[in-house]
Amino acid sequence: MSRAVRPLSDDDLKALLEQCRRDNAQHEVTGVLFYSHGNIAQLIEGDPAILEPLYEKISRDGRHSNVVQLVNKPIASRSFAEWSMAFHPLAEEGFKALEGFFLPQHAPSTPDTMSIADALIVDLVRQAVFGPSEPTEALPGPARQ
Amino acid sequence: MREQQLQSILRHMPAGIATLLGPELRYGFVNEAMQALLGGNTPEGEPLATHLSTLEADLLEVMQQVYQSGRPYVAKSYSLPLAATDDSPPTPRYFDLALEPLHDENDQTLGLLLFAVDVTAQEEARQRAHELALETRRLDARLRVLTETAPLITFTVDATGQHEYVSPQWYYFTGQPPTADVNAIWPLLIHPDDRLRVLYQSDTARANGVGWNYEYRLRRHDGQYRWVLSRALPELHAPDKPVFWHGAVTEVHDQRELAEALRRGEAELRFLADSIPQLIWTATAEGFIDYYNQHTSEYTGLSAQELGPTGWISLLEPREQAAAARRWVQCVGTGEDYEGIYQMRRHDGQYRWHIIRARQLTDTRGPRWFGACTDVDDQHRLREVLQTQYDELARTNRDLDTFVYTASHDLKQPLFNLRGLFDELRRVATFSDPEQEVLIRMVDEALGQFEGTLQDLAATVQSQRELAAPTETLDLRSVAEEVLLGLRAQVEELQAVVELHMSEAPTLTYGRANLRSVLHNLISNALKFAHPERPPHILVRSSLSETGQPQLLVQDNGLGMNLQTEPTPAFHNFERQHPRIPGAGVGLYLVQRIVDSRGGHLAVTSNVNEGTAFLVHWFE
Repeated sequence: MSRAVRPLSDDDLKALLEQCRRDNAQHEVTGVLFYSHGNIAQLIEGDPAILEPLYEKISRDGRHSNVVQLVNKPIASRSFAEWSMAFHPLAEEGFKALEGFFLPQHAPSTPDTMSIADALIVDLVRQAVFGPSEPTEALPGPARQ
Repeated sequence: MREQQLQSILRHMPAGIATLLGPELRYGFVNEAMQALLGGNTPEGEPLATHLSTLEADLLEVMQQVYQSGRPYVAKSYSLPLAATDDSPPTPRYFDLALEPLHDENDQTLGLLLFAVDVTAQEEARQRAHELALETRRLDARLRVLTETAPLITFTVDATGQHEYVSPQWYYFTGQPPTADVNAIWPLLIHPDDRLRVLYQSDTARANGVGWNYEYRLRRHDGQYRWVLSRALPELHAPDKPVFWHGAVTEVHDQRELAEALRRGEAELRFLADSIPQLIWTATAEGFIDYYNQHTSEYTGLSAQELGPTGWISLLEPREQAAAARRWVQCVGTGEDYEGIYQMRRHDGQYRWHIIRARQLTDTRGPRWFGACTDVDDQHRLREVLQTQYDELARTNRDLDTFVYTASHDLKQPLFNLRGLFDELRRVATFSDPEQEVLIRMVDEALGQFEGTLQDLAATVQSQRELAAPTETLDLRSVAEEVLLGLRAQVEELQAVVELHMSEAPTLTYGRANLRSVLHNLISNALKFAHPERPPHILVRSSLSETGQPQLLVQDNGLGMNLQTEPTPAFHNFERQHPRIPGAGVGLYLVQRIVDSRGGHLAVTSNVNEGTAFLVHWFE
């Protein structure tokens, strides 16, 4: 998790999305990035040989500060099929068609393949970035996909 | 040829040259540069006074003086506004001017030599330097004010460790006189325990050409050692080694003491948390656990590292995990307390019941969570055992009630038959025995008692069922009158007087059937145990106790009782005070059971042959 040094504009976010989609696809890095009001949180999955330098690079990125690593653990299998981003753009129109972009309320819910402890991390991070969700959403029923 | 060459050189020289001849100062030779300077109108042979340009007007008098006195004249940085052109506004230009008298071979004055060199660039540079000097002085003054008023000591030290400058605050702080030798005294004012370290650190920093940052205790004017922070940075003169270090000494005593106290307090709290045989933890505002106490690792067999920010959830019984996680996310979102009872896995795989509680602390440092997991496994198991036993007892009790009810109901038919047969027998048979009358009456009475007992038994079970009935606000008078209507036969037979005083507390929130049962039993008891020598006088009074709780008094003037255990005797089932009087001994037991189960109690006072008073405290 981290804080943006200055608020990211739609163009910044778009550029970030495109850059990360390209680089991450190339290095087979999957995961998700949440952004809202300067709060940034990212989950990345991949080969440790790729992720270690990538994390170094991310933590040195001048666009954000207060970078905190919550958890770093080996996993048996990936929970995310690709790399995507969820945020509230000022103008939603230009983003709807972009691949790998979601509005926070449409972001894919935490995958069931994760352990509940890991899913709890993602849910808490999601809440820390986007704020508490509506009560109805806070209790996802069995219809969770 | 040479003359021509000379002329050409003079004409194109970048400095202005002109000769002015005769006392009228007629134009002689004027080169290009001078022509530009004089405004271009310099017809040879014409007197200067007739074609005055700005420069000439200024200098005319001086020129005439030079001509007359024969003494040269020099003007430095003579300012001359250059006329504006199409491209540029008028700009002042500066010239060094020289007026030299020209002499012929006989030392007679021929005229003047006018010489002008453009020194604009030099002049501008000089002016800039002057402005810069002023600005520097201003900045210097500001810096001095700042350094000498800020609440810290500033200093400059050279490569050998000699202090080149120390701000006056040093003298205020240490109380040393202005004549004190800073270099000699400063080290002596450092606390002996810190002195060697400080000297070594500053020497090392200077030797390596780097800055420093360390804390030490410095003696204040009052003799007290105060913690100070010394920071300095080298002034670099590349590529040479730094020659000066500039730095500041700030008093950090209070902060340090506070930090020390905080550290101590935190260490103590941590020790406390680690000593408690409970699972204690804290979490960040986002809900990630950032501390588990010692007991947590002992119980779980996992380190804080292994548990991670949400690892506690994986310790719970797998089926409880999802709901517990959702609840935690919700609590973190809303700030509500988290509380639940869960089974948590111990290091040996055994699940034990725990109450998990967490509360959010919000203060200036932002919200944080404090949680504890209390092992309640033993209590939980005990409660489960008790619950099982309770359920069993309740079932047995229900079965017994059912049995009694069924039995009393089933016995009614044979009793009815018996009564019918007996009546038939009495009608058809003739008895010769003289005691037959007595016998017949005794059988009759026995049958009547049997019937009463069966009714009472059924009523007891019935009332047991009605205890669960909902309460309502009841008018005591109307319920009492209803009951009296049922007892009308007895009242009339005994010529009893029943007084109802309900106005003090006219209503009661109670189960209707229960209230009726209590009133019926108490009033019918009073009628039943009437004194044979006087008609019964029964007083029923509803009132409020000293604590404001409703109570009901039922007082008679009957036989009275001999009470062993005043004032609240236990009324047991089938216990009879007056064996002579018919009854099953169920009545008072029933009343007490109803009143007790509704949270009240029954009190009684009685005098033999005078009467009895029952006081029903509806609620405690």
